[in-house]
Amino acid sequence: MSKGTVNINVHHVTRIEGHGNIVLNAASGKIEKLEWQVPEAPRFFEAMVRGRSYEDIQTIVTRICGICSITHSLASTKAVENAMGITVSEQADKVRILMHYSEQLQSHVLHVGYLAAPDFFGVPSVVPLVAMAPDAVKTIIGLHRLANDWSDLIAGRTTHPVTLKPGGLTKFPTEKELRALQDRLKKSLPDLKVVAEVVLSVAGNIPNFQRPTEYVALKQTNPPAYTFYHGDITSTDYDGAVAINDWKTVANEYVSDQSTAKWTKWHRKSYAVGALARFNNNAEHLSPTAKAVAKMFGLEKGNCNPYMNTVAQLIEAVHVVEVSIAMIDELLTQGIKPETVKVSPKAGKASGCVEAPRGILFHEYEFDRKGNCVGADICIPTNQNHAGIQEDFEALVPMILDEPEDKIRLKLEMLVRSYDPCVSCSTHMLDVQFVR
Amino acid sequence: MTDDEVADHPSGIVNMRRSTVVLGLGNPLMADEGIGVCLVVQLSRLATEHLDVEFVDAGTGGLAILHQIRDRRKAVFIDCAYMGEQPGVIRRFTPEDVCSGKVLAHQSLHEADLLRILDMSRQLGQTPDEVVIFGIQPERIEPRLDLSPSLRGRIDEYLTVLLKELKP
Repeated sequence: MSKGTVNINVHHVTRIEGHGNIVLNAASGKIEKLEWQVPEAPRFFEAMVRGRSYEDIQTIVTRICGICSITHSLASTKAVENAMGITVSEQADKVRILMHYSEQLQSHVLHVGYLAAPDFFGVPSVVPLVAMAPDAVKTIIGLHRLANDWSDLIAGRTTHPVTLKPGGLTKFPTEKELRALQDRLKKSLPDLKVVAEVVLSVAGNIPNFQRPTEYVALKQTNPPAYTFYHGDITSTDYDGAVAINDWKTVANEYVSDQSTAKWTKWHRKSYAVGALARFNNNAEHLSPTAKAVAKMFGLEKGNCNPYMNTVAQLIEAVHVVEVSIAMIDELLTQGIKPETVKVSPKAGKASGCVEAPRGILFHEYEFDRKGNCVGADICIPTNQNHAGIQEDFEALVPMILDEPEDKIRLKLEMLVRSYDPCVSCSTHMLDVQFVR
Repeated sequence: MTDDEVADHPSGIVNMRRSTVVLGLGNPLMADEGIGVCLVVQLSRLATEHLDVEFVDAGTGGLAILHQIRDRRKAVFIDCAYMGEQPGVIRRFTPEDVCSGKVLAHQSLHEADLLRILDMSRQLGQTPDEVVIFGIQPERIEPRLDLSPSLRGRIDEYLTVLLKELKP
């Protein structure tokens, strides 16, 4: 037992790559310092796109993140289209949503399998898990491979898509390719159920912690749907919808002394975004099998346990596969038709928004009459979760302060991981010492 | 490639994988961190001269590497690397030649260590027979789109070294 005296300083700053730091100092049951710190260096992506043509924006911002590259591409492309009044065909819209779903599956199975599962199984990383639960790991890897192949097909490659352009797409999958993909998606549903059962078998290790939280997500009403792509902004504290162009009235970004990233707040001191936020706003529109998985875990709307975000991701992984199977049916019924897109640039300013796997993402751009970018603003989901992580820490730690220090530390680290943060993916370089 | 795997391919078309894959890693928005991507893009222009080689701009896709190296005989990685060398120096090594100096936070999917991914691939029995890494020591890692002079002036040298590696 720690007897309430704890000193936890989890610092992970390694050269350029910054990660969040967890700092907890307590003496005799009194918390002296408790902070979620984000020391990552600013990346200035908004400055990089200034002066660039509207046609180049997506190819630059897709590099912001290797895990959410499709999401950044879609948000920026939608913003360009909104700024210039460009419309997209129903066919292109559906194929883009399929592309987006591939990334949701890709990211969610990675998070569940590679980042969260080691916590549930009590091992430090996925590497020992390979020996401990080889079948489960191989199933996860198979699902990840499917998601990657899916991205390859629709986005042109696994990471950093090349088929998107303002007004539509440069390439559509063939009907034969869509049928083959659909077949694989159907075959993957039993695998997803296996993963759900494996996670359920260790769900007792998910901490039982609730903190009343405002959850912010996209909401689509016409037609109602569990949306990642269309709709306006809503929250569990707000019975209305805010237009995408007004996202700054939601995010209300501000600077915190303990972070180089901006924090956000809306109706409370903080809000949360991500899979659990989408679930809490839209769960009634999940696909049937996704609803069944939610029931397996007893997850219902109104759940305020941030650790359950991982379960919500699992539910969403099932949902995107199931609705994609139906969407491919719709595309095949209509038949894939060739499209030629012609766009004339014009001056304008607007925002684009989609749900990244880890939460709602906003891109805003302004263009001159030649279509050159004169201003940009990007608000990523992880920044919208920082204030909530701090509030979670403050609510959780007094409840667990008597536990052994390593258990407290693990629960705080698990909490951060459950938000599936994107604290740095701008740099992945090797750092090696030669041993021979 | 097995029949199942052929059937698994989303195109539904028999598409045998090329036996060698060259993966350029990194982020072109961070100056020298993008050297791997820069070089693989240039190499891919010579693809018709290397029919058994697939050139992949792998960016910062992290664990996607697992799938890109599977079922290959050889994988060649090009990446920016801290090696204690002068900026611009290129070194060829294998995963067995080095140990990683990186400390992973395990906080997000956005951190990646190529050497650990290769270790996982080995445990899964999916590593190519031959894995070669070309590390290039950076001069600067900062948010900008261009390479530093130390690297920019040596592109032809890097390409010569890499093409030599691809000779049968």
